[in-house]
Amino acid sequence: MKRRRRESLVSLVFCGPAIALYLAFVIGPALLGFAYGLTDWSGWSGGGQASDLGAALGGLARLDGGAARAGCEAFLGAKFVGLANYAELAHDPVFANFQSVTAFRRSALGFTLFETLLIVLTFTFGAMVLAVLLDRVKHRVGLVRGLFFYPFVLSLLVSSLLFLYLGNYREGAINKALAWMGLSAWQQDWLMSPTWAPWTIFALVAWTSMGFFTTLYLANLQAIPEDLYEAAALDGAGPLAVFRAIQFPLLMPTVLTNSVLALINGINLFGQVVVTTQGGPGTQTFTLGYYIYHLGRLNNRQGYASAVSFVVFVLLAAIAIVQATALRRRQVEL
Amino acid sequence: MFCSARIWACVAVAVLLGACAPKTPPASPAPAGAAKPAAAGPGAGAAKGDRVIRVVRNVGSREGFQKHWDAWKAAFEKANPGWTMELVNVGDSAGTEFYQSRIASGDLPEVIQTWNLTKHLADNGHIVPLPDDYYTKFGLPLPTPYKGKRYATMGGLQVLGMAVNRKLWASIGVTEPPRNFDEFAAGLDKLAAQGARPLTYGAKDWCASVPLTFLLHANLYPYTTGDPEPDKPSFTLLRDQGKATFAADPVANRVLEKVIGLVGKYAGKGVLSDGYDEGKRDFYGGQSATWIMGCWIGGDLEPNNVSAEVAYWPLPSVEGRAPIFVTSSSMQTGWAITTSAVGEKQAKALAVCEALYDPAVYQLWLNGEAMLPTATKVAGVTGPKTEHVAAKGFVADMAANVKKYGTTRGGYRSLEDQWPQGFEDACMRLMQTVLTGEKDVPKLLGELDKAWDDARKSK
Repeated sequence: MKRRRRESLVSLVFCGPAIALYLAFVIGPALLGFAYGLTDWSGWSGGGQASDLGAALGGLARLDGGAARAGCEAFLGAKFVGLANYAELAHDPVFANFQSVTAFRRSALGFTLFETLLIVLTFTFGAMVLAVLLDRVKHRVGLVRGLFFYPFVLSLLVSSLLFLYLGNYREGAINKALAWMGLSAWQQDWLMSPTWAPWTIFALVAWTSMGFFTTLYLANLQAIPEDLYEAAALDGAGPLAVFRAIQFPLLMPTVLTNSVLALINGINLFGQVVVTTQGGPGTQTFTLGYYIYHLGRLNNRQGYASAVSFVVFVLLAAIAIVQATALRRRQVEL
Repeated sequence: MFCSARIWACVAVAVLLGACAPKTPPASPAPAGAAKPAAAGPGAGAAKGDRVIRVVRNVGSREGFQKHWDAWKAAFEKANPGWTMELVNVGDSAGTEFYQSRIASGDLPEVIQTWNLTKHLADNGHIVPLPDDYYTKFGLPLPTPYKGKRYATMGGLQVLGMAVNRKLWASIGVTEPPRNFDEFAAGLDKLAAQGARPLTYGAKDWCASVPLTFLLHANLYPYTTGDPEPDKPSFTLLRDQGKATFAADPVANRVLEKVIGLVGKYAGKGVLSDGYDEGKRDFYGGQSATWIMGCWIGGDLEPNNVSAEVAYWPLPSVEGRAPIFVTSSSMQTGWAITTSAVGEKQAKALAVCEALYDPAVYQLWLNGEAMLPTATKVAGVTGPKTEHVAAKGFVADMAANVKKYGTTRGGYRSLEDQWPQGFEDACMRLMQTVLTGEKDVPKLLGELDKAWDDARKSK
């Protein structure tokens, strides 16, 4: 009994700081974000004092709704508006516009889902194909793999600025190259054209992160026992058969990891948009992340922005759970 | 056993260190009437408790602003020995983000540049009012009070109009400002026919909104330079009361039609890739004839060594009225003292604001911003001073035209009667949408109405 208590204490000492930090910097802000989503907080009022929180909790303990609400409002520095932000979100065309397919694709939700779909497909399957091909490279292996991984080492700001310069209409390298080849008619405003901007942003994300996702697959490929390949060779299996019968089933754990990571990458797409298009032209490249930032920073509507964040969190969690469940089932079947 | 003894020893040392940590001295009490002082927060810096006043200034990479800052700091530190002015360099567009994060951490600098954020800062008790004799001491016109109080320092007369390349316009026989929008458009047509680039326009950033917002200010509001007349509510107030909308207003419709025509004809392909910097390069390089932009561009002529002769003209009306400049100078935008300045620091923060009108400092302020002076009791300062030919010509031309054509407040009437913050961003996005091919004026103005209402939801 004494030993168990001592072990518990030791565990607490070791895990306590990590748990405290997680509570303070992840769980706490998430709960506060949800609470702010129920208010009209503009971002300009300062945070309240601990005594305000005490008053709110005291009100709750006494079952005094008025005192609890007053304490909460003082602590959050904002007025409680109930579910008004969520009701507004349901009819917000910048968030989601269901009038037509084009209108939906140009809303924040539609654009984010479009980019996410491209990102998930590319990083889940494109990266797998690339990894299998790179695995077959026998000479200058480090150099070749390094070339693919290199863009991932660059900071997001650097790679985004690089694309900003590449895609500029008048001075950009792409249009200059096209003009040099006598293809001036093909010149485009790569980052601010409604047709091309989504693809350019996707190209930026793919160029930056493809190496990382490929590396995860490569690591998994290295772990496949050599005797499986030898047995396949004895059976006269070609590269496609090897891929289908050996590599693909054994890569399934990484497929799950990559697809979830790619999903998070896609839904959270933000920095690239800030640097390159700032959501333009108009609001056509608003991602959910950029819309939250725009609401909070430019419109001073942190309460509403918090409500959007919470909805995005729920959406992301729901998709991730469905995805993980489906892939795990597939993994078991294989 | 040995292991757990070590662990307990570590815990004991950590607790001991925590107990021995220096305690933060309590802040001095706030002066009567001031809002709840901001508590010291993370990132306050070691200097915070010392004799340092932190001042936000948008120096950026602008040479003229850097010169002004250096002179301001020197004037304050000379008049207040032992005290230091510390620069907090924040860009115009980063103000909201910076202040909101500092408010959250309870660590606003003592003196901050307010831009168009004065209302939010005042409403939430982050800045303290300035006494009226602060303004009268330097001969400054009293800014329109907000809820009976005045918070921000005043600079000079900032006017919004259009810069023109005098030589290019003269080449088509136009040497005076066009009398109305149609005359202006006819001039642009002639310039284009001559092979010149008639208009500088970048739509990548905030500049996209400029022609639209400037023309709305100049056309939607009466030409009044004094205080707003209470019996004649402005378009802003009517819009807020739901008695007017952009979509239903014939003047707003005409303004947008004209602006769509303007950018459709002269903006050129790829303009969505261009912003303020590209515009500056084109216009200063003499490649374009007209740039609809605020007078601050005159402050950059000398640092950019511009050789083209630049005139500054008023905005043409789409309503057949006389051309006019718009001014935002009656608004309370400038520097304000925050609730972080408590005790002795409050007096020193006021001294920082007073040092703005030290003759050498005020002169450099006007030079950097190319503004005409409004402080009449600053010895020897009569306007921006420069020996640079283009800058000198710009200032002389602007002064003469302001005198001849006058100024209107447009939508910059008072903090209680102004556009919602963030509305300019909506105008920028609307113009970007126009450039992608959307030309349906009622639909676009409907979107502008929605953006107005959304922006008003922020308190």
